[in-house]
Amino acid sequence: MARPMLGLVPDHRTQDINVLKINGISVVFDGFSALSEVNVEVRRNTVHFFIGPNGAGKTTLLDIICAKTKPTSGTVYFYPKSRSPVRLTGMKEHSIVNEGVARKFQVPSVFVNLTVLENMILSLKGHKGVLDSIFHRPENDDFDDIDRILERVDLRERKQVKAGSLAHGEKQWLEIAMQLVQKPEIIMLDEPAAGMGKPETEKTGEILREIKKTCTVIVVEHDMEFVKQAADTVTVLHEGKVLAEGAIDDVLADQTVQAVYLGRGGGEPPQTNVN
Amino acid sequence: MKIVEKCKQNINHICFGLIAVALAIVPPLISAGSVSTPTGIFLGKCIAFAIVAIGLDLIWGYTGILSLGHGLYFALGGYAMAMYLKLSATGGKITEFMHTGGLTELPLIWEPFNNLPAAIALMIIVPGLLAGIVGYFIFKNRVKGVYFSIISQALTWAAYSVFIALSPYTNGNVGITEIKSVLGSIRGGANQGNLFTLFYIALGVLILIYALSAYLVSTKFGKLLVAIRDGENRTYFSGYKVSRYKNFVYVLSAVIAAVAGAIFVNFNGSITPSQMTISYSITMVIWVAIGGRGTLVGAVLGAFIMNLCEYNLSSGALAEVWQYIIGGIFCIAILFFKGGIVGLFKEQIPARIRKLTNRRSKEGAENG
Repeated sequence: MARPMLGLVPDHRTQDINVLKINGISVVFDGFSALSEVNVEVRRNTVHFFIGPNGAGKTTLLDIICAKTKPTSGTVYFYPKSRSPVRLTGMKEHSIVNEGVARKFQVPSVFVNLTVLENMILSLKGHKGVLDSIFHRPENDDFDDIDRILERVDLRERKQVKAGSLAHGEKQWLEIAMQLVQKPEIIMLDEPAAGMGKPETEKTGEILREIKKTCTVIVVEHDMEFVKQAADTVTVLHEGKVLAEGAIDDVLADQTVQAVYLGRGGGEPPQTNVN
Repeated sequence: MKIVEKCKQNINHICFGLIAVALAIVPPLISAGSVSTPTGIFLGKCIAFAIVAIGLDLIWGYTGILSLGHGLYFALGGYAMAMYLKLSATGGKITEFMHTGGLTELPLIWEPFNNLPAAIALMIIVPGLLAGIVGYFIFKNRVKGVYFSIISQALTWAAYSVFIALSPYTNGNVGITEIKSVLGSIRGGANQGNLFTLFYIALGVLILIYALSAYLVSTKFGKLLVAIRDGENRTYFSGYKVSRYKNFVYVLSAVIAAVAGAIFVNFNGSITPSQMTISYSITMVIWVAIGGRGTLVGAVLGAFIMNLCEYNLSSGALAEVWQYIIGGIFCIAILFFKGGIVGLFKEQIPARIRKLTNRRSKEGAENG
């Protein structure tokens, strides 16, 4: 918690190591405090997990970062690799995406009436204006990128299939692929393994480990096996506060975390949470 | 084989081509006497209806924004054209209804309509600008779904009231009547040439607007409209400024409606505020729903079929119940044929046939 006293001026000196700084974020919904004074730093090129029982505020935190929800107080700063820091709080959703922060939703949200390829083309980086969308054609490089990324998630052979007819797991992967093709610096995934079987979950973990070579991955997840497989850093949230943070083994050994997860702290066991 | 595949892919465009060809032979049929002149004029109006249906399909069928107020833009285009035609009938002088309304000089807003290019420019600019301003605020504030539909209705209702209230300028309830087409009169045997030219101009505009819309929906822009319809949230988080796209398509469909209104006036010989009512706007939506939303040819088909039915059925024995029949067809289409006529032939019937043949082959296998 090396935070300046006022909590408003973040320390930009750490920007080589960190890619995201969540600075004293609080959210109050109608008197209910969903998040209070959350401070988290996310290191570049890591897989950073947010875990915690139902209602801990994990998804809300992602919503804050990508501007789906406005915080009551606090700021989020993003440190792009070779540019000056960007204050994400107060920006519009689409501008944040174009800065390089992508988001995958909990319920797979792909465009069901478009083909896999069309889904990917819409997600390409840049050329998001109305006139561009009419006159600009993707270049060969873009198609190569799409092929390469689809290959990674095993969807290359299914380019011409309508996204609506993909299996659940495939939709999840397609949505991840759609985020990757935007070449983000941060990719946020909300329960990417939800509803997946064991082999699919493992494969998703492998995908994450590979993605982190090129960008930072932030994941919200319940499935402990999956967390153990893929996490570099874990932040445990409980009732809107940061309970513990660190490597997965350290965090799981923590007494308070155990209390929360074993039910004595009021939370449910994580595996049964559907949120 | 390749040709068959290509035809299958472009079946919608081929259908539209057939409709266009069928329309193109209407004038020769009129001269041959097998189609009456009133029917020809009516088909001209149908072309206008098909154009406005294409515009509505872009915004509703593709983008999922249900506008129940496109009658407003249709009427604005119609009034702009009618004002020009009225002035060319009076020779640029003040009209009778203005006299009755207490005006002694031609009002300033009527002045530009003395000149055809200016009138055409205003016919496009006024509805486009209005839609642009209204759309900017509506979409920026993320008003959507049924709330948008209600606002679009309210807007139409407000404009209707204004047009009725400003009767010295608009002739109120009666509207602008006793006008000829841009080419002169189209009624009577002596003016058949005018009717034919006008008919081909209208057909040309229909083909042009169809082609433009077909091009648009084939580009990434068109895919994005579908993306907004199916997953607006995802579209925001794919980095698109959704409100700008919605506003663009709203303005586009408003301008298309205005062009349709202008063509309609040429055939109809008058424009009244009833073209600006909510019920008229909803009728247009029904054409699109029944033809098949989300396919341009469906909108065109729906406009022609529904209007031809009305033309043939609303006089005579069914006159009294015709409105109920339309309502019934609309309900059935929404409940059972979501894709309208096009969906019925392209998806529902083939799916049924596939099911039947599957069952038969299964039974065959069991028996064998």
